[in-house]
Amino acid sequence: MSETVKYDVLVLGGGPGGYTAAFRAADLGLTVCLVEKEVRLGGVCLNVGCIPSKTLLHAAAVIEEAAQALEFGIEFAAPKVDLEKLRAKKNAVIDQLTAGLDGLCKARKITRLTGTGSFKDRSTLVVTGTAGEQEVHFASAIIATGSRPFKLPNIPEDPRIWDSTAALQLTTVPKRLLIIGGGIIGLEMAQIYSALGSRITIVEMLEQIIPPADKDLIQPLFLKLKKQYTILTRTKVSEVRPTASGIEVTLEGETVPESGEFDGVLVAVGRRPNTAGMGLEELGLVLTDRGFLRVNERQETNVAHFYGIGDVVGEPMLAHKASHEGKVVAEVIAGHKSAFLPMAIPSVAYTNPEVAWMGLTEKEAKAQNIEYDKGKFPWGASGRALSAGASTGVTKVLFDKHSGRIIGAGICGINAGELIHEAVLALEMGANAEDISRTVHAHPTLAETFAFAAEIVDGSITDVLPSKKK
Amino acid sequence: MTIEKIRIPDFGDVQKITVVEVFIAPGDEIAAEASLIALESEKAVMDIPSPLAGVIKEVLVKEDDVVASGDIIALIETAAGSGESIEQAVEPVAPAEAAAVVEAPVAGHPAPPQPPGRAFHASPSVRALAREQQVDLAGITGTGPGGRILREDIVTALPGGGEAPPTGVGDSTTSPGQTAPEDFSKYGPIEEVALGRIKKIAGPHLQKSWNTIPQVTHFDEADITDLERFRKELNGTLPEGEAPFSPLVFVIKAVAATLKAFPVFNSSLLSGGEKVALKKYYHLGIAVDTPQGLVVPVVKDADRKGFRQIAGELQVLSSNARAGKSAIPDLQGATFTISSLGGIGGSGFTPIVSHPQVAILGLSRSAMQPVWDGQQFSPRLLLPFSLSYDHRVIDGAEAARFCRALRHNIEDLKRIML
Repeated sequence: MSETVKYDVLVLGGGPGGYTAAFRAADLGLTVCLVEKEVRLGGVCLNVGCIPSKTLLHAAAVIEEAAQALEFGIEFAAPKVDLEKLRAKKNAVIDQLTAGLDGLCKARKITRLTGTGSFKDRSTLVVTGTAGEQEVHFASAIIATGSRPFKLPNIPEDPRIWDSTAALQLTTVPKRLLIIGGGIIGLEMAQIYSALGSRITIVEMLEQIIPPADKDLIQPLFLKLKKQYTILTRTKVSEVRPTASGIEVTLEGETVPESGEFDGVLVAVGRRPNTAGMGLEELGLVLTDRGFLRVNERQETNVAHFYGIGDVVGEPMLAHKASHEGKVVAEVIAGHKSAFLPMAIPSVAYTNPEVAWMGLTEKEAKAQNIEYDKGKFPWGASGRALSAGASTGVTKVLFDKHSGRIIGAGICGINAGELIHEAVLALEMGANAEDISRTVHAHPTLAETFAFAAEIVDGSITDVLPSKKK
Repeated sequence: MTIEKIRIPDFGDVQKITVVEVFIAPGDEIAAEASLIALESEKAVMDIPSPLAGVIKEVLVKEDDVVASGDIIALIETAAGSGESIEQAVEPVAPAEAAAVVEAPVAGHPAPPQPPGRAFHASPSVRALAREQQVDLAGITGTGPGGRILREDIVTALPGGGEAPPTGVGDSTTSPGQTAPEDFSKYGPIEEVALGRIKKIAGPHLQKSWNTIPQVTHFDEADITDLERFRKELNGTLPEGEAPFSPLVFVIKAVAATLKAFPVFNSSLLSGGEKVALKKYYHLGIAVDTPQGLVVPVVKDADRKGFRQIAGELQVLSSNARAGKSAIPDLQGATFTISSLGGIGGSGFTPIVSHPQVAILGLSRSAMQPVWDGQQFSPRLLLPFSLSYDHRVIDGAEAARFCRALRHNIEDLKRIML
């Protein structure tokens, strides 16, 4: 690499945000250098996050569904799980996707460098890789370094104590698995390891699993899971002691056993941004208390020509937020008047049943003193759900009382993660209950439940009894 | 000692009010009625007087803020409490606001997105277009179902709106107002002077009216010899302190009566161009020349008011306009406009119809003219006037008839009672 080359755009981090930004910038005619510390692009999402977890969750779902088929008069023999083959399948999916990214990168003539980056000054990055150090000169820099699992301070190092990355390696299936953290990651891992044979205990500090979502939305999932797992809410882990026989854990809570012994512990208590050790503060970039980069809706930091996208700029730490921000930042650098101002970013827990929500939750609406009308349709009244053996679910939708427009929605049930997008589109387009009610939905489908929930607010529902007030 | 909140007064349904100047700072001691801030809406700039006397504790607005009725301007410490007390008026801080540390904008950058329940009713592509074209959605009235802001609404709001295609609007090639001027300085020295505030506001509106309305101007004149005699008589016997009658007062009454007889001149073309809304009220906008620029206060229900009342109102409206103190409701709702240049001079001009009205009357300077009465020339005082009208709504013959009728009404005011 010649010292004199100066790229229009440097992208530090090759996750969903970083590679999207790099691709979009290249497509807009800018010269781009993409620096990623791992050999493979795709970041946490593709390599140790969304994608491998979904592969394993699919396997778990097959196991669970095979067992449920008994209700339909179909009996399968107990499944035999070949961990090595499952791992290989998971890795094959990752390989295919990351190889695809490599191809897209090459076709766009983006310079790829593998190594860790550290800023020397406001126009130079030092990349340290296996081939040694090299300097990259740039006009604009996009910081897309992502996040890593948060480590609890009182938990010792032990091969049986995992973070989400380790859990996805699928090295072994512990008989008794303790999961610290009842959020999306913890529950998805519980799903996988439970299907593979682990006995699951989940410890959550707050009063419910998936704390950001409304309690009534989580309820169908919670009622199902509590038959399979031990779920301890409002509980803290005060001590973790690895011993020869297992890992002894002391718990603190109102109605919990004081201690327990487990064969594996997964810590899934959130993620922290990767902002240290890159010389960011030396450049004058402002970080928040929790270490996030501060940016505005154009992804601009407080330092000119420095931008941030994805997990590194804050919640929600979701790949789909990062990729959209990646497009915006590339457009901004290319001189477009772009900004990242979505009205809603959907969240999905790929549990069984799935939970998805978008816009405002009820508790957020209440906290913001927004008056709303609520429509809630139980899946027990959905023909499609019943015939699929999936009556565990609910679809809920909220409308602003004054404007009448949708402000939030939540779905719990199979395919909730797919179904939620109709609600997101409705919110972005400013639909009201009547708009949704009058949109013809095919019957019988799960998507119908969203229209039914809107019909409840609209007052035109016939599939359940209408509420009295209309 | 109590601390009171001073709020922005009610402006009716004005879409966008911007703070253009802040006259106060914390610590200032102010008298009641002292000007606090200057606000600018689509139509006017006005000073907001303080309802109370006291010491300013905190100023909560700054220049270029977009504000709404009810927003707090400042906190003021008064000797005795009469307004709302601070304790009961503390607004709840939304937790999201307090918690959203990461989303907080970097100082100097625009504010973060609004929560969904309070956002603009516009789809993502329309919001993006508004952003690209730097159109503030707060100032746009949506014409879609349920008030949704449509792509067309953004395009219409642009300079030269309605004409230009949805993309590329604002290009120097498509928008005449933005064409890069040639370098005049190569021919001689020049000086660049900023347009006045009112001109800057009025410009796009005039441009839109000009671009969207196919207009024709019809000329006529009225014999006001007798009317002038009557007017002078009236003014000669005016009680103390009463507003004198200007010729305009009589023209206003004559116009209101003529509009009643020709309802389509008091209408607006509805979107789609297939219907007009005939207005059953007669609010006449009167163009007033002020030191800041053209202001058009509105005489409401001119058909129902007497000459004396109109004379009084006209005096108040124009002096307020000249002082830059027009209240927003006084500038809204005109169904027809009268622009008079009679006091200055000229024998005729072509006023621009003000969208969404369909006609405007221009008055020029009256002059003594020889008029052939069948036997001889006699000296008569003639008032030349012109009527510009939207040809989509009004035909030439109708306009000619309107002008005839108006002429008769002015010449013989008894007719307006018919």
